Amino acid sequence: MKDQVKKWLESGTVDIFLGMKMVDGHPLPHAFTLGNISDLEELVPGTVRYPLETFAAELAAENPDARIGLAARECTQRALNVLSLWNQAPTDRIETIKLNCCPSPLKEHAACSYLDPPEAGLFKKHFGIDNAADPEAVARFEPRERFSRWMYEFQKCIKCYGCRNICPVCFCEDCSLEHKDLIGTGQLPPEAPIFHLVRAVHMAGRCIDCGLCEEACPADIPLRLLYRKVNAVVDDLFDYRAGEGEQPPPFNIIGERPSLEPKPMENGSACPQR
Amino acid sequence: MECKFVPSVCSYCGVGCGVLFKVVDGKLTGTLPLKTHPVNEGRLCVKGWNIHDFVNSYLRLKSPLIRAFGRFIKTDWEEAIKITSDRLKDIVRQHGPDSVGVLVSAKMSNEENYLAQKFARAVIGTNNVDHCARL
Ligand code: SF4
Ligand code: SF4
Repeated sequence: MKDQVKKWLESGTVDIFLGMKMVDGHPLPHAFTLGNISDLEELVPGTVRYPLETFAAELAAENPDARIGLAARECTQRALNVLSLWNQAPTDRIETIKLNCCPSPLKEHAACSYLDPPEAGLFKKHFGIDNAADPEAVARFEPRERFSRWMYEFQKCIKCYGCRNICPVCFCEDCSLEHKDLIGTGQLPPEAPIFHLVRAVHMAGRCIDCGLCEEACPADIPLRLLYRKVNAVVDDLFDYRAGEGEQPPPFNIIGERPSLEPKPMENGSACPQR
Repeated sequence: MECKFVPSVCSYCGVGCGVLFKVVDGKLTGTLPLKTHPVNEGRLCVKGWNIHDFVNSYLRLKSPLIRAFGRFIKTDWEEAIKITSDRLKDIVRQHGPDSVGVLVSAKMSNEENYLAQKFARAVIGTNNVDHCARL
């Protein structure tokens, strides 16, 4: 990777390369340029993830001529895909070097902070929702029990907005989560489950399942699972999976008409059950 | 176009979470949790997430102010310290040392807190020392 980045910087393929650099034992995001090319010695794949694609999109927006390189895991690539479909990142000016993340003997550089999630405690297992559970397992709880388990999770929220702040595909200038008529502002704890459901609705067809939100959540709420669920609904209704392909997202209502038609229903059900 | 990521410690409370500042062209534009910091392990509270806002706030105090004639007047540190010490001396002389309390901070270093209590006990002569965690 180092040689490739060096070649890119020297040939002007990119003006700046966003990757991770080891600083005093901490892998930190770093902007490599021709000016600090000796820093490339410390370029590492990094075991932790920061939303590098967000930094790239911001830099690209502020510098209309800059070409940006990016160390990209699979989630980074999905995020770039979504950002480009929403016109938030000029992918023609962003070059990526692909990094591995899934563990396999063939991919020795596999490294992702998500591969080793902490185990849920007993109380959480009994009354809440295990972050490592899959949507089907959660769907098997009785509706009332499921609701109370989700509410147990939501009421822990300290409204830090970390989930929104770190999300690579959250880019709106005006955020519904700060709208005083939708969500009480200046009020703690936030109204549950409205706060979380508003965010969940906005992640439908947009969340690329990177898990950064859950990693940033001080209350250990299984956010990734929640957004997986809403994405499953979008997949059922529109046959759409965020981060894949070139199709515009179903809820992009800018323009003449909604960009996607619902897929044909089976047995007349408007909302397929999962 | 210059972009830097600077690790630091949150300046709000005594926990001292690790933060990562994003600095673009010399201006602080964003704060992120430091993922590998042993204290916060990649999480922050709402204050920590918004440090860049107060650093860049136009309301931020950048020099000492003295209240005189009902208004705040800008001054330099030398004068501010002189006026403060004169006033403190006056108060101690008139009302005794126990009319003064010293409030320290969980955000200061051990040594600074030590100095502050030394100042309270040895210079002013009072045991009225407390800190922000009990306010
Ligand atoms: S997993 Fe969380 S941080 Fe990642 S895209 Fe989805 S909502 Fe955003
Ligand atoms: S990161 Fe967790 S605690 Fe913070 S606002 Fe989001 S759900 Fe709430």
